[in-house]
Amino acid sequence: MKDDLIYLDYAASTPVDPRVAELLLDCHRTRFANPSSNHAAGRKSRASIEHAAGQLSALLNVDPKTLIWTSGATESDNLAIAGGARYRAHRGKHLVTMPTEHKAVTDVFHMLEKQGFEVTWLNPADNGLLDPADFAAALRADTQLVSIMYVNNETGVMQDIPAIGAICRERDILFHVDAAQAVGKIPIDLQELPVDLLSLTGHKFYGPKGIGALYIADRPGCRVEPILFGGGQQRRIRPGTLPADLIAGLGLAAEIASSRIDADLDHLTDLRHALWAGIDEVDGVLVNGDLDAGFPGILSVSVDNVDGESLLLELEPICVATGSACNALSQEPSYVLRALGRSDLLAQSAIRFSFGRPTRREDVEFAARRYGEAVARLRSLAPEVTT
Amino acid sequence: MSSDPYSALVRDYFAHTAHAGDLEDAVVAEIAERGVHLRLAATVDNGTIQALRFRAWGCPHVIAACEYFCAEHEGRPVGALGELHASNIMRNLSVPVEKTGRILVLEDVVRLLERAIRDESAPH
Repeated sequence: MKDDLIYLDYAASTPVDPRVAELLLDCHRTRFANPSSNHAAGRKSRASIEHAAGQLSALLNVDPKTLIWTSGATESDNLAIAGGARYRAHRGKHLVTMPTEHKAVTDVFHMLEKQGFEVTWLNPADNGLLDPADFAAALRADTQLVSIMYVNNETGVMQDIPAIGAICRERDILFHVDAAQAVGKIPIDLQELPVDLLSLTGHKFYGPKGIGALYIADRPGCRVEPILFGGGQQRRIRPGTLPADLIAGLGLAAEIASSRIDADLDHLTDLRHALWAGIDEVDGVLVNGDLDAGFPGILSVSVDNVDGESLLLELEPICVATGSACNALSQEPSYVLRALGRSDLLAQSAIRFSFGRPTRREDVEFAARRYGEAVARLRSLAPEVTT
Repeated sequence: MSSDPYSALVRDYFAHTAHAGDLEDAVVAEIAERGVHLRLAATVDNGTIQALRFRAWGCPHVIAACEYFCAEHEGRPVGALGELHASNIMRNLSVPVEKTGRILVLEDVVRLLERAIRDESAPH
């Protein structure tokens, strides 16, 4: 990356921690063997995977045997939702989720709808939060699976996972949580949290891309059917040769996160406070989501009378997102922000700032100044009365 | 193929909008549609465009296209406005095809401006 770029898009991806990068290089050189092989080199790769499972399980406080390695959160979400719904289909075909979930979740539900499942889509309040009472009211006798994300990737809003999970447990409903934006960033204790299935990915917390995991709780009725076929690895739930190098990298990233999660949160809270203090002065700016119920590493704002794409270019060299990076090629306003009641124009003007460990206070102070200048310039170009 | 959605010319015209603004005693044309709001103002003397200014709400390609159009047409005869086509702007600035609709709004407002100039100068 060029030195003059200011990267504030950590919700899209984080840089690999230098210690993880060193480990990956070492794995490429010395632990390249297929971990399913029974020779000494294979056992060495297998040992790396077992060590990584221990590191990740320590971060989440789970038994390592409850973890299934995947290619990332998208695959974990697919496996959890499609696999969980199909496993429970003989009991009922009603599913519940929210329209503000990531596409890796919503698209799976759309696919299941075409396959005969019935999905209830619960809208959040204007601040992005789901009321647990509204959630409970939507459940039916035939509800078998619920999927609610922990930290929203566009707004940073954190749902009340303990309350929603408790309601699911009372009714023996499979509860999946897309925690791609949460794992390694906020404390998660799965001995305490009533969650059955939890998706995560390495590259959101300074690990490598291309590796993730799905936690499957060890309790009766909590299972998933495989969505991939072709081998006996990972108890046939997710076959395929395991990438020992990437798994080792994810494991180390998890261990590093465990050691500094509180310090990271304090750092992110300071950064968001500094950024918002500067941006709040811009006339007509609105927070997308809820500052009080939001993960401090993300701040999404909209502003009236400004085109989002022009704003993004005007903000260079600051690297931020207009909504989800996964959807950056689309000209459509963010469906997440539309679900929060934002107009097309306000949703289209949204900028998501997201911070990480390397972000400095002066970076966000510069970003705040630049944002104000960019909005002022674009408004000065526009006709007085906008569409 | 560049991964940058903006050509060097688009970046330059977007960054340096010398023709953004208004003109006094000018002929004005304005359109707001397809996610774009454009207003053009022109002063004309003896069939020649003396000055052009624009105001634009839209994406970088639209803003750059407006600046490009104004810079290219000052000092030219009014008849040159009728020769402007969105396809030429898109080719010259390397505007991606998905932005065609927005650049067509510029073509439309230029047509509107030309008609307004001719109406203004027609004998009453």
